[in-house]
Amino acid sequence: MMRDLHALLTPRHALGPLEIRRENLAFVTLPASNLRGFLTELRDTQGFSHLVLLTAVDWLEEGQFQLTYMMNNRARDLTLGVRVMLDRTTAQMDSIHDLWPTAATYQRELKEMFGITFPGSPRLDEEFILEGWTDLPPYRRDFDSLAYSQQTYAERPGRVTHDPREYMKSKLYPGG
Amino acid sequence: MSLREVLTPFSVWKRVLDAPVSIADPFSREASEHYRGFHKNDMETCIGCGTCEAICQNGAIDMVPVEGQNTEKGDSGLRPMIDYGRCCWCALCVDICMTGSLTMSNEYTWVDSDPDAFRFIPGLNEPWKDKQAGYKRENGRVLSGTTRSPMGELHANERIDNFNEICVGYTREEAILEADRCVECGLCVATCPAHMSIPDYIAAVRDQDYDRGLQLLYETNPFSEVCGRICTHKCETSCAAVHEGDAIAIRWLKRHIVDNVPLERRVELIGAPKPATGKSVAIIGAGPGGLTAAYDLAREGVKVTVYEALPKPGGMMRYGIPEYRLPYDALDRDIAVIEAMGVTIKCATVVGVDVQMEDLRQSHDAVILAIGLQMGRGTRIPGSEGAGVERAVDLLRRITAGDPTVPVPETAVVIGGGNVAFDIARSMARLQKIKYGRVGLTLTALEDRAHFLADKEELVEGDEEGVLILDSRGPQEVMRDPSGQVTGLRTWAVTSIFDAEGRFAPAYDESDEQIHQGALVIEAIGQMADTSLLGDALTEKLEWNRGRIKIDSEMRTSEPWLFAAGDAVKGPDVINAVADGHRAARTVMEAIAQGEVVQ
Repeated sequence: MMRDLHALLTPRHALGPLEIRRENLAFVTLPASNLRGFLTELRDTQGFSHLVLLTAVDWLEEGQFQLTYMMNNRARDLTLGVRVMLDRTTAQMDSIHDLWPTAATYQRELKEMFGITFPGSPRLDEEFILEGWTDLPPYRRDFDSLAYSQQTYAERPGRVTHDPREYMKSKLYPGG
Repeated sequence: MSLREVLTPFSVWKRVLDAPVSIADPFSREASEHYRGFHKNDMETCIGCGTCEAICQNGAIDMVPVEGQNTEKGDSGLRPMIDYGRCCWCALCVDICMTGSLTMSNEYTWVDSDPDAFRFIPGLNEPWKDKQAGYKRENGRVLSGTTRSPMGELHANERIDNFNEICVGYTREEAILEADRCVECGLCVATCPAHMSIPDYIAAVRDQDYDRGLQLLYETNPFSEVCGRICTHKCETSCAAVHEGDAIAIRWLKRHIVDNVPLERRVELIGAPKPATGKSVAIIGAGPGGLTAAYDLAREGVKVTVYEALPKPGGMMRYGIPEYRLPYDALDRDIAVIEAMGVTIKCATVVGVDVQMEDLRQSHDAVILAIGLQMGRGTRIPGSEGAGVERAVDLLRRITAGDPTVPVPETAVVIGGGNVAFDIARSMARLQKIKYGRVGLTLTALEDRAHFLADKEELVEGDEEGVLILDSRGPQEVMRDPSGQVTGLRTWAVTSIFDAEGRFAPAYDESDEQIHQGALVIEAIGQMADTSLLGDALTEKLEWNRGRIKIDSEMRTSEPWLFAAGDAVKGPDVINAVADGHRAARTVMEAIAQGEVVQ
């Protein structure tokens, strides 16, 4: 079923190869500029009416963000993960809040956690869960969680740690 | 406000008799099976590697000494202490734990008026210590890679008729993959006799900074090209990765660094030695112990002369270890760097013959004895005296020297199960293959296969090369025909090697007798030092310990001008000799500085 659908839609939307995970779960990647047209056709003619979730992955080394739109066809119990790759420096994508109102919430979250922007999406720049955040978006992989936590949170007094290598030296061969 | 809006709130009264949805006693409510609650740590499995501390993104973990946990090989004795003021229960520490000792219970309530109570060491006596439920790594999932990058090797067929090096070395890709598995805990450093900066040079491989890697190697070991090939690599037995996978290939990564830095660049990176101090030291023996001391002393501006009896420097590294494990040009490069530091090596110069100990004493500020164990021990079994029975170290020396009179019969038997036994067995097998087109070599050892003293790879490779390896066989007699020609070795099955007090006292099953055919029997059961070069007077004067020259922990003999290092006094391998060489050089430098060395 997924294969038929893939074969049918590939020419119009320049879809990449179909990655089948289970009988009713598959993933496909396509150019970001084709996403809205593809999702619209999935929703309006193929029965994929439900946006399950929208999430992102930071491929830091490749300089890209990956967005994954999980689309579900309830009647046929099929889920298709639709992926687009974005340039990490631009980090911008077309909004789909007009297709699924719930997408606005996902997009607001992605703006806050990854710094990916979706122009025109409602309340996009309002704080989502972080309050008064001024650092890099925390889900970006170049965000240094440890440094942030050390700068932000107080250390309880009296804490002492030991480097295993140096500690073993002091115990086993102090003379070197 | 409409009437409806006023009345609506009262509609909830219709629920007043329903069963409550909320939980009456929330404190005893069990969390879900995999809940990430308070930590647990199995103190016996934990090795104190500190990887949990390193990965914690909240800086919540300290590594602290814990009573009852000892610092020993492969275990720092430290244990994690977690500050619950900072922990966010992400469980990265559990996911990365190298032994699986750190887990989580599903306990999540803890009330205390003392805030310091929430800095705690899991695994001591917390109430949830024995609770089974809670977060654990699913299906034994391990985040760091568990499989070692395989080392490329010549196939047995390609190597049995020559002495070409078996291991081809890592490619950069293989080395980076392997280096990536290291968590840099540093537990290995204590196990390395020379305490090499293992995590740091592995990081240099990962960063592809071979210059830095080489400089790190030379801080602790001038024989890194040699050790990168033939080190006994005990460090790998202490590797944190060994608990859930293969140990990091520390030895191969060391070799990879040296392989990637040309000789001239090595000398350049190490830099020039300190200015000359006007002091001079004589070293007897150009093996790993002597030459390491020579290197260190030369770096400190001391004029060093090394006296070597054999035609070329290297000691057992050249005349003991076969070329297929350590090619001579690899050894030559390590020695060339040492010579580039200004060390003079006088080969084919026998102390006691060409030059006297007393002269060395007179003309130098100190003398270091690093003569190794050059003489093979004999089994003293019947028939072992006379032609047809050889000692392994003598034969290996002659093979290296290219001696055309090395006996190569179609069949031979080796007695011994250590690395030297395998070195001679596999060398002789190659010579047989070259001469006769087939291998006729039997190796007999007292130990059973699981307890051979040789490295595991020697057994694997010996098998592959067609050496017949017989375990638990005790030599009883070298068989000879009426003309005195050796025909084989008679052995009994070994029932035990040590007596109840742990002393060496092999016991045999005499009913299980075998005769292994061979026109040559090679004894490879141990070596001893040839100390005749000392001369009677000095031998008499020195203190001895069970046939070895007695030294203190800083390599001093009982004579203030004489120091000793290497296999002759300690042993048992190259890296220990290197460590001894460093220590001897340091002691000599201190002695010179304090003017202690009496002439």
